[in-house]
Amino acid sequence: MEPILLRARGVPNSRSLSTYLAAGGYEGLKKALGMDPDAVTKEVLDSELRGRGGAGFPTGRKWTFVPRDHPGPKYLICNADESEPGTFKDREIIEYDPHLVLEGIAIAAYAIRASTAYIYIRGEFVRWAAILEQAIAEARAHGILGRHVMGSDYHLDVWVHRGAGAYICGEETALIESLEGKRGFPRLKPPFPAVVGVFGKPTVVNNVETLACVPSILTRGAAWFASIGRPRNTGPKLYCVSGHVRRPGVYELPMGVTFREIIEEHCGGIRDGHRLKAFFPGGSSAPVMTPDQIDVKADFDACAEAGSMLGSGGVIVLDDTVDMVEAAANLAHFYAHESCGQCTPCREGSDWAQDILDRILAGHGRPEDPQTLLRICTYASQGMTICPLGDAFALPISSIVKKFPAEFERHIAAATPRPPKKLPVLPWAGPRPGFDGQ
Amino acid sequence: MPKVTIDGIAVEVPAGTNLIEAARLAGVNIPFFCYHPYLSVVGQCRICMVEVEGAPRLAIACATPVTDGMVVRSETSPRVKEARDAVMEFLLANHPLDCPVCDQAGECLLQDHSFSEGRDTTHMVETRRTFPGFERRLIGPHVIQNQNRCIHCSRCIRFTQEISETAALTYKSRGNHAYIDTFDGQPFTDPFSACAADVCPVGALTVREFRFRKRAWKLRSTPSVCPGCSIGCNLWIDHHERTVYRFTPRENPAINATWLCDYGRFLADSLNEAHYLHPLHRVDGQLRQVSWGEAIRALALDLAAARTLRVVAAGTLSNETLFLARELFVRHLKGELVVAVHEGEPRRMKNGKGEWLRSRDAHPNSEGARRLGLELVGGERLARFLFGAADLTIILDPTAHPYLATEEALQLLRVSPTLVLVRTDHPTAEVASWLLPVASLAADEGTFTSSGGHVQRFAPAVAPAGEARPAWQILHLLARGLGVTTLDLPSPAAVFAALAAKDKPFAGLAWDDLVGKERSSYREQQHVG
Repeated sequence: MEPILLRARGVPNSRSLSTYLAAGGYEGLKKALGMDPDAVTKEVLDSELRGRGGAGFPTGRKWTFVPRDHPGPKYLICNADESEPGTFKDREIIEYDPHLVLEGIAIAAYAIRASTAYIYIRGEFVRWAAILEQAIAEARAHGILGRHVMGSDYHLDVWVHRGAGAYICGEETALIESLEGKRGFPRLKPPFPAVVGVFGKPTVVNNVETLACVPSILTRGAAWFASIGRPRNTGPKLYCVSGHVRRPGVYELPMGVTFREIIEEHCGGIRDGHRLKAFFPGGSSAPVMTPDQIDVKADFDACAEAGSMLGSGGVIVLDDTVDMVEAAANLAHFYAHESCGQCTPCREGSDWAQDILDRILAGHGRPEDPQTLLRICTYASQGMTICPLGDAFALPISSIVKKFPAEFERHIAAATPRPPKKLPVLPWAGPRPGFDGQ
Repeated sequence: MPKVTIDGIAVEVPAGTNLIEAARLAGVNIPFFCYHPYLSVVGQCRICMVEVEGAPRLAIACATPVTDGMVVRSETSPRVKEARDAVMEFLLANHPLDCPVCDQAGECLLQDHSFSEGRDTTHMVETRRTFPGFERRLIGPHVIQNQNRCIHCSRCIRFTQEISETAALTYKSRGNHAYIDTFDGQPFTDPFSACAADVCPVGALTVREFRFRKRAWKLRSTPSVCPGCSIGCNLWIDHHERTVYRFTPRENPAINATWLCDYGRFLADSLNEAHYLHPLHRVDGQLRQVSWGEAIRALALDLAAARTLRVVAAGTLSNETLFLARELFVRHLKGELVVAVHEGEPRRMKNGKGEWLRSRDAHPNSEGARRLGLELVGGERLARFLFGAADLTIILDPTAHPYLATEEALQLLRVSPTLVLVRTDHPTAEVASWLLPVASLAADEGTFTSSGGHVQRFAPAVAPAGEARPAWQILHLLARGLGVTTLDLPSPAAVFAALAAKDKPFAGLAWDDLVGKERSSYREQQHVG
């Protein structure tokens, strides 16, 4: 397949506006500006483009939820937080083709009649924030952004906002809170951001990759886009392969290739002398898949049927050297650290699961531990929490417990009881400062 | 109005009501921690899970508005039971088992729900999370924090953001190690700081003044009205035996929702002060203890003989006391009566609609005095009123106005015989010829008229100290001693009935309607504060 999202990769000076324009850039925006905003939405709806951030919600549908006759401002947010472990696709697009993202933003903003767009970029992406800033400045100077976009009477301002380093701020409502300058706590839904979003106004939050797909839908048509992949799972997809493969990296492939193709063909297979043990199909929040599922198609519906999810397309490959209990503990550490602390099951559950897994690894496992882990995971997912972080930590860990029980048994069989904790007896050091002795 | 069925009980509720409130109307108890009727809904604690027919997942009752025909299952659903069980286990995973030494025990939502919803075992065998250095931290003048007990419901944070508007409290850190702290580490000097401890469902924030003074289950609560200013916040006097331990807010959406300012709240201790326990009469410059019988007989003779009589009442007295004083001293004895009022510190309170009520009036019942047609006077007019000699001067509350404690006022009072009703030490006692011990608000009964025009009843919580009597009763005794049969009204209820019959502003009000109507089941069942 010819690259669409990564077409600029390897092109010299690919970030500059002139290179982008020479390759037919901003043609999609020009075409969109000549259309009715609803026709643009219709085009995206027909392309069956689904959100690339992880949930796979149809992008066109999301745009139609914005009330059309809403008085006052509406906003478009480009989610460039990309905090999911194992995911590094948005960075790649911004690195080589920032104008593709800006064109997608401009078209989407036009479709929902927003005149302000924000790019919420992960705080650590200092370099890529600078790239975007530069691209925006260039586009403004050439009349592509700002007042009278490409000579039309549509105005659009795009701002880059850097996050402060929280995984949870990739969740759209936490992102909105963070953008408003507040603590990154996900909001209760409903109301959804399309109705009450940033600053209380209708807002659409789209992933970088989603928006990068939009210009080509406009230039080449929805039918062309829908012809890639299979129905309901259309278009090109960036797969970020990491882990124990020979050639990890970002691969642009049509939606619906199998994981076997991705791992064995494109990535050159598992490193020498080892076998595939497990892989996460879509970032660390997706339930783990086993080698017998390698022929599953890497698209939204097929992964869901296989009991996992495509998520962000971050394929993490684990070979037979990996101790799955350690892998689970690694995940638990991440999620316990990144849980925002707002709702009970996720806050307490992630920390508790981390403690249990650490204890098993320390050689003090108990026979009932897998059951306790499953119980924690059951009640931290299934909509027991405000945002999907509960599921994100519970589903992969419970899938590891369910699919690799032998590894847990091995650890637990070799376990020794934890020695009783000796509590220190401290000498009385007088009243503490700031405490009145009650 | 939408109709909703909760656990088989059908109930019709106003549109927009959430399921917790709807269930309350249906008589079904849905547990909650983070929900508070006067704070925004955040849905953090996840204990209020209910099963809504037709929905695949459990819903949180606090954030689910009723729709017509909704069928909800709470206690009757095994799925809900399991989910709540799990949430209780999560909440208790790191919560210390220190109920015996925790001052919140007995009025702790977590303890209550743990008894009603939870089980007595846990799967938790790990070392509990602790916050070293945050176990007994004085974060402000009135609030002590024990972060180990915190269940992260964020009620206190929302209180300071939405009600007191200081945003003094905030989360710090993240995840299970998030903790509550004052913003920027400043002292928690919010004028409503103790309310943050009130809304705390557990013992993470406790009030320093009340801590460890009395176990919650020993306290009896009596409805009363705050004496601190003219806003008239509704409160409970929490008392045990003859001691008042604290004020807690009593729900009244029109006035104070479920809040109290720190100033009003900490007046509670002052109700226990009683320095005068017997009637005293000055004979040859020496105060001598007399019986009530002697005192009333002698005072009735003095009153009957007095040709010039002047009375200083105050906005601190109840409508009943003011009415009796007016009827007895002005209408019957043809004396002069003024009501001392005093402008104090500005006070404010947020009502249930989120509006600020403000007052600069230091007295709870100046409005009542005004409605009774009495003359309200400040310091200067009071000085002129006391100038010159009279056969008898009566001061019904010497603490009401600072002028009465000045040397000038004492000089004026020395000129003529003076009767003072006292409870606590006051300079006027040195010049008074008669001192009658009067009961505190906690031992009195009557009504106050708030600056907003609400006539509100307060009930007697404790017996008066020593031989002290409520002011209305002293006036009633004097009226009897003088043989004024029309004022022989043996109870505040009877006085109020006479008052309502005589005074237009009070017409149509009935004693029995003045209390209990606004009584909140929250305070009684759920400790919302």
